[in-house]
This record gives sequence, C-alpha cells and structure tokens, in this order.
Amino acid sequence: MLIRSPKDWELPDSAATAEKFYRLSRRRDFLKTLGVAGAALATRSLFAATAGFPTKVNAAYRDPALKPTPYDAVTSYNNFYEFGTDKSDPKPNAAVWKTDPWTVEIAGLCGAPQKIDVNDLVAKMGGVEQRVYRHRCVEAWSMVIPWDGFPLAKLVALAQPKAEAKYLKMTTVLDPKNIAGQREGTLEWPYVEGLRLDEATNELAFIATGIYGRPIPNQNGAPLRLVTPWKYGFKGVKSIVKFELVAKQPRNTWNVMAPDEYGFYANVNPKVDHPRWSQASERVIGGDGGVFGSRQRTLMFNGYEKQVAALYTGLNLEKNY
Amino acid sequence: MALLEKLLRAKAVAWTLLVLPGLWPLWPIFVTHNPSVLADPLKFVLHHLGFVACVLLATVLAFTPLRVLFPKWGVALALNRHRRLVGVSAFAYAGLHFTTHLLYEGGADLSALPKILQTAVEKPFQLVGLVTLTILLVLALTSLHVFVRWLGAKRWKNLHRLAYVAAALAAYHQAAARKVFPPQVLWIFVPLALLELLRIAKPFLPASSPPPKPTPLRPS
Repeated sequence: MLIRSPKDWELPDSAATAEKFYRLSRRRDFLKTLGVAGAALATRSLFAATAGFPTKVNAAYRDPALKPTPYDAVTSYNNFYEFGTDKSDPKPNAAVWKTDPWTVEIAGLCGAPQKIDVNDLVAKMGGVEQRVYRHRCVEAWSMVIPWDGFPLAKLVALAQPKAEAKYLKMTTVLDPKNIAGQREGTLEWPYVEGLRLDEATNELAFIATGIYGRPIPNQNGAPLRLVTPWKYGFKGVKSIVKFELVAKQPRNTWNVMAPDEYGFYANVNPKVDHPRWSQASERVIGGDGGVFGSRQRTLMFNGYEKQVAALYTGLNLEKNY
Repeated sequence: MALLEKLLRAKAVAWTLLVLPGLWPLWPIFVTHNPSVLADPLKFVLHHLGFVACVLLATVLAFTPLRVLFPKWGVALALNRHRRLVGVSAFAYAGLHFTTHLLYEGGADLSALPKILQTAVEKPFQLVGLVTLTILLVLALTSLHVFVRWLGAKRWKNLHRLAYVAAALAAYHQAAARKVFPPQVLWIFVPLALLELLRIAKPFLPASSPPPKPTPLRPS
C-alpha cells in the first residue's frame, strides 16, 4: 500500500482562511461605494498598523490540527480592562478609539534607542507573517488565533541590547482622556508586562499587528501587542507604546494587583492551579459543543514544551508561577 | 400605589417576576446572537444564575426590615406575603447555578464529577459557594410547615437566621468570582446592610414611634 506523507508546507483546505475573513469589511465596502474614500485610504483611517498586509503564511507555525476560533468570537470576547471589565465591553468601547498615528519607543539599556512610527517599524521588521497559535487565558478558557506580525526577537535585535540588559519591559499606552477604563482604579495604569530577554528572543515570542490576515482590531490591542503562546493571555500586553530593556525584573500589572494569584512567569501549567480554580482543563471558546460548549485538557506550556521547556530548566515552576 | 400593592400581592405576579430572570439568557443566545455570549454561552448562564440567586437572597432578606421600618407601607406588607416563595427561589437559582457549574466543568462526562467536587472543596472561593448552597438547601427544606411545627417557633427562627450568614458568604463568593472586584456586589448587598442597620437602630432613633411589635413568625 502506498501511503503518501504530506510535506509540512502542504496545508489542507481546512487551513485556508475563509473568504469571509479576507474579504473587505462591510463598513469599508460601504465607504468605497459611497466614493468617500478609496479602500486604502479607508483602511488607513481605521487602523494604525496597516503595513505589511496582505500577510505571508508561515507554514512552520501552522499546525493543521489546530482549528482557528471564529473571527467573531476572537474579536467579541476580550479581556482589555482599559475598555471595561466585562468581556463584551472592549469591542463597543474601543470602537471609535484612534490609534493612528502611533509611535513606538525603544528605550533603556540598548545601543539603538529610538522613536519610530509603527508602520516604519513593521517595514524594518521585514513585513508581517501569519502564525496560528493556541491562546490560553488564566481564567481557564482557550482559543486558536491566526496572528499576523513579526518575531519579537527581530525588535530586540533592532534595539541592540547592552550586556547588562536582562529583561524586556513593555508598556501599554496611557491615555485616560480617550480610554475610559484608565480613569478608574481597576488596575494600576499603564499596563506593564515583562519577559526575560531569553524569553523575548525565543522563536515563539511574537508581536501581532493583525489577526486573520487583517490589521488587528482595537479590542484585541491595536496597533501592536505581545503574543507569548506558552504563557497565560494576560502576559500579552496590548497597544504597546514602549519597549524598554532593563536590568531588573519589572513588576507586571497583574502581579502588582494580586501577587499570590498572578506571577511574573505566568507559564501555562496544568499542574499548578490558580488559588480559586483549577488549571487542569480549559473551555474551548466557540467550540463545537453548541450551548454546552466544550472543554479540553490543558497542555504543559500550552503545547509548546518543545520550543520553551529549556528556558526553565532548574526553575521551580510551582513557586515561579 | 394601591395598584402596585394589589399587583405585588398576586401570586401570579410573584411567580412571573421570579421565573423571568431565569429565562433571560435565552435572549442573547437565541434571539440577538450576541457574539460575546455565544463565545461561551454556558459561562454566561453560570454567572447569570449566580447573580439572580444573590439578588433574590438580598431581596428576601430586605422584606422584614422594610416591614419593620415602614409598618404602614402596603408595598412592604404585600412583599412579605411572598417571603417563603422568594427565599425558596433564591435556593432554586443557587441550585441551578451549581448544576451549571458541574456541566460547565465536566460536560456530560460523569467520570469528571469526583474531581470537580474535590476542587470545589479545596478552593476556598468555591467552598464558600458550596456552604452557601447547603445553608439555602436546609432553609428551603425546613420552610415546610411540618418543620416549623417539628422544630418549634424559637428554634426554627434561630435556624433561619442562617440566611444572614448565607448572604454574607454569597457576597464574598460573588466578589471572588471575577479577577477584579465586581461592583454589582455592592449594589446588591449594601442596600440590604443599610436596611438591616436602620432596623436595628430604629428603637434608638429619637423620632421613632414605640418599638415594633414582635414580628409574627410567618407572614399571613
């Protein structure tokens, strides 16, 4: 019997992005019809980071066994406390938020500190590629998201870190005038996250400027956000304005908020529970189970053990949660 | 006011007001197809049922202070007619909330049940919910007339004071259910706490009329 093993660049039809996802949104179609603006202009006015699209699919990070969560769920079920604490809040509350123009600052212990427009940054990074990653929230739910963006390692290289730089600190924009949630003391603003430099330069660490082949919507962290698929979702700091190379481990926002519940590492680990709930399994958002939904076992490092386990040899994962 | 009083006295109205909140999740799931709710519909149902249980528990506990503070207010008297019904519904919603939790965690897989219950006992946040449910179960069962007679009025009344403990535990459980403090806990339980304080303070207030008659054991 002849069994043909598919090459890893051969993707099944199911892996292709459905037409409805790459077709122009209705709003932009409408603008075009009106002749108010050309498609490019309309896109430019809605999103900040528009450089690099259409995206190139990186087959090395596209496991055909992963079924992407529907676009509607990815963009309607969001934790972005700057725009409200309910998961339905960010989409409507961030709808009119203006993220264009957007300047990113690279600072701290590095040889090439700079302020750079997000589109110029994307160009310097060599454009955007698409990777399909698992996404696991600390609240025990998960998605599969096709992210468009560039490896964080490229940005770190651009910064030229000095020898004494050990961590990368990333900060969300602080704009209480336009971001209602930042006028309330829900969390300490601005939102701060950090990675050890070897984590930041791991092949998986990614800066997303898009999802599903389109510029990233505001509620998902426009115009650029961190994606670390082996860590809980709260590590994925959104709407970043500053990348800073530092010598000491920065305090990340959720760790400041509740140090006994959220650590610095936040690695997905089914064996280390949250004090209030188990992390052994997770709800699959937009899963096939209908109203009852579906649940699956959580994987060590969210299924990325092969790529990241070596980063944590000798580290007590129960203490360093 | 007379119409409101008349409406509130009606059993059918009380039942409708108690059942409708339970049906509410059908709206975003099946009518408006809210994508945020559809992302994990059962989670929405889970949180909603717990929320309704908290509201009903606070509501039923507010009935007595309302009557003590406003003995001539017809609405307070009308509400007090439904004390048992509202109290039992608070238990029913708490029971549905817990059932939904089991479904949410384990689906149809019965073999997952022991692990879910073990987690429920191990995590203080979940254990508090379980204790609250147990108290409400005991109170619902003993709300039958036969138990009032069996226990005797005094013991029955003391037992049913556990409802205040249940309310305090429910407030904690609801507050701990989210990553940050949910403000609805305040607007559910703070008015109740204020009413209770006023009720306790009433005999000491200068403008107060003579102390209220001891409250009858069962509303007529």
